[in-house]
Amino acid sequence: MSWNKVAVVGAGLIKMGELFEQSYEQMAAGAFSAALGSVDKGLDKSAIDAVIVATQRGTLWGQEGIGGNTVPSAIGLSGVACTRVENACPSGSDAFRIGAMVVASGVHDVVLVIGVEKMRDKSTQEGLLARAAAGHPLYNRGETAPVLFAPFATRHMHEFGTTPEMMASVAVKNHHNGCLDPYAHFQSEVTVEQVLASPMVCSPLRLLDCCPQTDGAAAIILTSAERAHEFTDKPVYVAGFGVATDHPYLHEKSSFVGLPATTLAAGRAYEMAGVGPRDLDMAEVHDCFTITEILDIEDLGFVEKGKGGPASLEGETALDGRIPVNPSGGLLAKGHPIGATGIAQLTECWWQLREEAGQRQVAIRQGFALQHNVGGRGSGVSVVNILTRNP
Amino acid sequence: MKPVAVLGMGSAAPSLRLAALDVGAAWGSGGGRGTVAVCDADEDTLTLAWRAASTALEAAGVSPDEVSGLWWGTARPPFAEGPSHVFLATTLGLDRAVGGGLCSGSPHAGMEALLGAWDALAAGHARIALVVASDALVPGLGTAGETSTGAGAAALVLGVTAESSDGPSTNGSSPPARFVARSTRAIPAVDRYRADGASATGDVYDARLFREEVFVPLLAEAGRAVSDDSSSTAAGWAVADPDGKLASAVAKRLGAPLVSAPVFGALGDTGAAAALLGLIQGCADNGSGAPTTGALGAIGYGGGRATAVVVDVARAIPGASGVDRLGAGRRVSYAEALRARGQLEPMDDPIPMGLPPAGAAFVRGNPEMLGLFGARCRTCGTISTPPSIHPTCTGCGGSELEVVALSRRGRVQTFVVNQTMPPPFQAPLPLVVIDLEDGARLMVQGSPADAGDLAVGDTVTLSLRRYALERGIPVYGYKAFRVAGSDATVGSGQDRAAQEGGA
Repeated sequence: MSWNKVAVVGAGLIKMGELFEQSYEQMAAGAFSAALGSVDKGLDKSAIDAVIVATQRGTLWGQEGIGGNTVPSAIGLSGVACTRVENACPSGSDAFRIGAMVVASGVHDVVLVIGVEKMRDKSTQEGLLARAAAGHPLYNRGETAPVLFAPFATRHMHEFGTTPEMMASVAVKNHHNGCLDPYAHFQSEVTVEQVLASPMVCSPLRLLDCCPQTDGAAAIILTSAERAHEFTDKPVYVAGFGVATDHPYLHEKSSFVGLPATTLAAGRAYEMAGVGPRDLDMAEVHDCFTITEILDIEDLGFVEKGKGGPASLEGETALDGRIPVNPSGGLLAKGHPIGATGIAQLTECWWQLREEAGQRQVAIRQGFALQHNVGGRGSGVSVVNILTRNP
Repeated sequence: MKPVAVLGMGSAAPSLRLAALDVGAAWGSGGGRGTVAVCDADEDTLTLAWRAASTALEAAGVSPDEVSGLWWGTARPPFAEGPSHVFLATTLGLDRAVGGGLCSGSPHAGMEALLGAWDALAAGHARIALVVASDALVPGLGTAGETSTGAGAAALVLGVTAESSDGPSTNGSSPPARFVARSTRAIPAVDRYRADGASATGDVYDARLFREEVFVPLLAEAGRAVSDDSSSTAAGWAVADPDGKLASAVAKRLGAPLVSAPVFGALGDTGAAAALLGLIQGCADNGSGAPTTGALGAIGYGGGRATAVVVDVARAIPGASGVDRLGAGRRVSYAEALRARGQLEPMDDPIPMGLPPAGAAFVRGNPEMLGLFGARCRTCGTISTPPSIHPTCTGCGGSELEVVALSRRGRVQTFVVNQTMPPPFQAPLPLVVIDLEDGARLMVQGSPADAGDLAVGDTVTLSLRRYALERGIPVYGYKAFRVAGSDATVGSGQDRAAQEGGA
């Protein structure tokens, strides 16, 4: 039996992109408005009695010490209880998990979970790339984001014969899906040849193996399963979730062909939801790089370890494949505004389970969708949430 | 004069080579012959000293904890004021109580380091002395010295002899060589100099005046004086050489062949290291297979002072032949050489290191970073690196850990080549996860020269490099260098040095 104590009754996001014209506060207001507007039977915002904010990097927009008060002020809810969650790339999905537990505890009735991230208020050099000089002065030195995943590509290729073409096929699929998602950062097709001809960023990863730097925001409204029908006739339930950690330095990894945090988090989520990989209709997974999606679909149990490359190449994860993965376009095409990413993925799952995803709608047969993030130093944090439309 | 024993020798050269012709072309003067050695951006006098000294200790069969004093001579210590000596001593694994000192102030510093060690041994204050002379002078742009200034390092492991000590000599039997005589002469004249606070060496002297009135007469006088004090006549001379012509004039004056020409030809003027590198060259086998024996002289110069020494060579000196493998290096353009030496910098400020290099994380971390330590679990044997951030074992969670020095050799588990980083990083930058021979796993930077060749399973060795020059403070750590023909058997220290030098 699924957990199903908490329901999603509203979800929405803003169009992702390099949103130079919008402030952090404006993005938050846009996402909140979208979520509020999505509630089928309407919801007075004064009913929201707690807010969980996910923003991973205040440093990327010049607010190093951001707490939990900026967002309530920006969305007209100043005074409400609010906590900010920062837990690496899964910040948004972890904020959702925490929001669900807050509702289930009975302490708060209606909880807004909102992820907001400014990635482009600083130049790339001063922003995301500056992490090359952060962390341990020797053992992290030169470690930009692709360095966290590229060593896994090198080793996956070495052990399983995964090829650049297989990795490129992930980018091709997700860019195709992004063309069907009006909220995606990129809405253009790419070809395998284009991916393989794009500049090397961090070998073996090329430019089109990498997700872009994207500003964005997404919001979800949670309430208890009992109260869900006050707001909608089509609630989506939180079936289960899991979070797990691994050591933070790459040299502490026990292997370079999988991410143990994902496997652990997924195991916990499957157990809580009472389902397995075969019960899922679709998944939104963390494809910050093409190799990451290949690792994810193995670590989540969609395919056997080592078979993620061929499965991607052969279309098993396409919209009409055996297990559609990242119908939204994923991080590669929709974008990766870190704190907002998980909540945007969950919004996609919500749309898909309600069969409101338009041209990119996948077949919903069993009523379960999985959302996954992994990241942080050493890719040592993973969160998996499973949603269901089955009461 | 109490003699001292030579137990081993080591030498090192930086990885870049600059053609004098390219320097001349940049200034429209067209002149210059040969190439000089230049430090890459991650090399300096400390990394060169580390390599030469490590090689010499290994060749001499002396373990770091046996060394009672480190005498380091360099005109360009990494800190003009600061912890240069203890940084080098820590990288070499020397005892915290080690004596000795840092000699600087001019390229004569290398000979001063030798004399200091000699005095301590002769006085009975040291049993084993490590002498390192390293230099990487930064010539002023457009100076005459630009076409001849090189870089390199020489190291000697010295011990007491039966004559210099009441106790038994260091190795029980007669040593392979002994320093037997020394003599210093000086003249108060300005030639090459670097004013306090100046970043580069100027040489606004009159070349003929310097040659006729200072260099040749002074060095010849020192050489004659040491010959008079020595029972044996030097069969050859190693002579410091600021411009590639002066040394031969001195040797001619002394009436014996110049033995230091090959190493000068390979590396250029190596400053404080020049005379000792030349001496090591003279002690090497010259390719004939038969070691040079007999008396050899060496004369160092700098800042108006000249010191001549004579060494009596009884048999092949361990480690000496490594000098013949220093020649190879990566040829770079003048602009690349300037960038590597810090004389050509981008306008934009580099991204600062997340931690201030004089802060608490470095006070805690310097010993383990410079010494390359890990924490071995007494329960499961897993090594977690570095110790200061691992109060518990990454393998089993146990808390019974002991600090151990890590192996310097291993195989590539996986790697990347980062092409996209802000200044001060330079692409391509390999980052390599290594499974060390002792079972530890470590991720460190690799050599840009290996970027195109690295593969999973390759054998790599770890070598000290400068990871950053942060807010003026050098930050050192170990980098991975691919061993050519990776499945080859374990090489000696000299082989390692040659492979790095030849990268």
